[in-house]
Amino acid sequence: MRFFSPGDRKPRVGFFKFSCCTGCGFQLAYFQKSLEDTLKSFDFTFFRLASSSGTPEGPFDLALVEGAVTEPYQIIELKKIRANSAVLYAVGSCAITGGIPAIKAGVPEMEVQNKAYRTKLYGLTSLRPSVLGDYVEIDGSVRGCPPGERDLQEAMVSVLFHRKPEFAGYSVCVECKIKGNICVLVAEGLPCMGPVTNAGCGALCPSYHRACYSCFGLMGQANTAALKGKFRKLGLTEDEIERRFSLFDALETKK
Amino acid sequence: MKAKTGYLGRVEGEGALEFEIHDGKLKRLKVNIWEPPRFFEGMLVGRRFDEVPDIVSRICGICPVSHMMTSIRAVEKAIGFEPDRGTIVARKLMSYSQIASSHLVHLIMLALPDYYGKGSLMELLPDKEVTLKKFIRLKETFNGITSAFGGGRALHPVSMVVGGFTALPNENRIRELRSNLLSSKDDLMDIFKTVSGLELPDLQTGSEFVSLSAEGEYAVNEGQIVSDMGLRGKEDDYETLFDEKEVPYSNAKKTVVRGRGPLMVGALARIYLQSDRLSENAKKTALEAGLIPDPVKNPFHNILAQAVEILHFAEGCQALLEIAKPETAYLKPEPGEGEGAALTEAPRGLLYHSYLIDRGGIVRKANIVTPTAHNYLGIEENLRRLIENNINEPVERLKLLAGMLIRAYDPCLSCSVH
Repeated sequence: MRFFSPGDRKPRVGFFKFSCCTGCGFQLAYFQKSLEDTLKSFDFTFFRLASSSGTPEGPFDLALVEGAVTEPYQIIELKKIRANSAVLYAVGSCAITGGIPAIKAGVPEMEVQNKAYRTKLYGLTSLRPSVLGDYVEIDGSVRGCPPGERDLQEAMVSVLFHRKPEFAGYSVCVECKIKGNICVLVAEGLPCMGPVTNAGCGALCPSYHRACYSCFGLMGQANTAALKGKFRKLGLTEDEIERRFSLFDALETKK
Repeated sequence: MKAKTGYLGRVEGEGALEFEIHDGKLKRLKVNIWEPPRFFEGMLVGRRFDEVPDIVSRICGICPVSHMMTSIRAVEKAIGFEPDRGTIVARKLMSYSQIASSHLVHLIMLALPDYYGKGSLMELLPDKEVTLKKFIRLKETFNGITSAFGGGRALHPVSMVVGGFTALPNENRIRELRSNLLSSKDDLMDIFKTVSGLELPDLQTGSEFVSLSAEGEYAVNEGQIVSDMGLRGKEDDYETLFDEKEVPYSNAKKTVVRGRGPLMVGALARIYLQSDRLSENAKKTALEAGLIPDPVKNPFHNILAQAVEILHFAEGCQALLEIAKPETAYLKPEPGEGEGAALTEAPRGLLYHSYLIDRGGIVRKANIVTPTAHNYLGIEENLRRLIENNINEPVERLKLLAGMLIRAYDPCLSCSVH
């Protein structure tokens, strides 16, 4: 990580996508309350979703990369982006934990492909899904599916203020406590993933009477064994427990 | 002479156009979509019926509500669950507000810069600073509705599930949404004026226009299949009426009406086939924009149609918010066995999902056909027409025109491959 030195220009940002829904790109482009400030404070020199100009070559003061790695060419591109960028943040669950594209990780590649395509297209080169951190050093993770505004804002501001970002590193439970939510796991017996899931969403699901489904991925040092034990006590079958953990964390659970 | 656009900008996903002109004749043209496949139809097999909406939502970052909605309806049909009236109202609000915000993003961020010879909205500033402010205000208004009903976020909403909504906004919040919509009237008209003032290139398409149609309302979440060439059918007959073809040079498939040529789905086709069911104000603007009573089948007019639809759906949301009730209507559905198919109108047109679910509630088979797959063949066909009509123009101009036409369809390449 090299800090951006302002001089008389704005930080140059490159936005890249791999295998994903482009939701992180849209989330950044929406970024409604901060969109004007973001556009004024940064120079988006590569952002294909929003611009047909610019070059992917860089150099960038900040590279934001969304998506899981599922194609060989993406590894080469990722290494190039890393080499051309002072700071690189992984954005969104696909890039950080594998997210939804990683569901196929536990199934043989051809078995999944054959359910989606009838003929064997010569162009299909899909790999077992992997994450950015498997190939390059990343300077921070803007978690979420889609990323929360707090961390997205922190990512941008950290570059403007030349400091290390402070991303939410605690569990969804903390957000519930701050909001004063009644615990859906304890009080209602819903199979909530909040205790092991990284915060950043604002505890949306529990606030809307639903069990967290871990779309922000497992937080660091999550006590998954304890939560699985709790789920067993609630009467969930092993299969149901496995499903809770493999929706957004298939790479962890299917290692 | 060979021409390549490279990675197309201001289009959702990864794709490019290539064409060759020799001796004043267009020889070869293809839209190559290398957007990586994630094999959703493969991933869904083995997942439980109630996990499906949260998974398919991630097909697309701009129309997640459409994928959730279509899958929820298909799954509910398969397991034999009937949603109640309150749920149907809230689901319409989700879809209407999402279509309006998706159109706004397309019109202002993706399409507009071409007409000023710029690469992006950023390059259009500060000239378009007022437009940017209006765009942000309107987006907040529509996203506000999706997010209030969708559980706190418009992108990948959480409270819309198989069976209904786990929570709905209270009366104060509903009142607030109504008043935001009321005060957005001038902004809405200004966006329409900005779009209807653009000089759109000429082009006549022979594509068949296809959309849903419903009795007494502008069909979005449910309806029968209709076309301007006499196609009629039910959603359950979709797989016998349509055919998906795999393409050697692309990860996306091309879908056609069996035994027929290219089709066009989306805002222009919807207005073409259902203009009598537009709201009164939307009808007036459709008239002003020349989309009725004697429409020209010009795919570039899709952006006019989107501008008209924003007005229509704003009024639609206003009317639904009058009758929306804050009581939650969520009955946890039991797993059931069966097969279910559903068609809806996503922002970009006809979207199909079907599922086979076993006794344990596990998905055994899934099929998803997206609007961009329906438009794919037509996009190439009309690009050919466009280039042939302008064959003497310099190649840079041809590339620009072609890019504008592709964008007019508002394709979603992540969806098209999925």
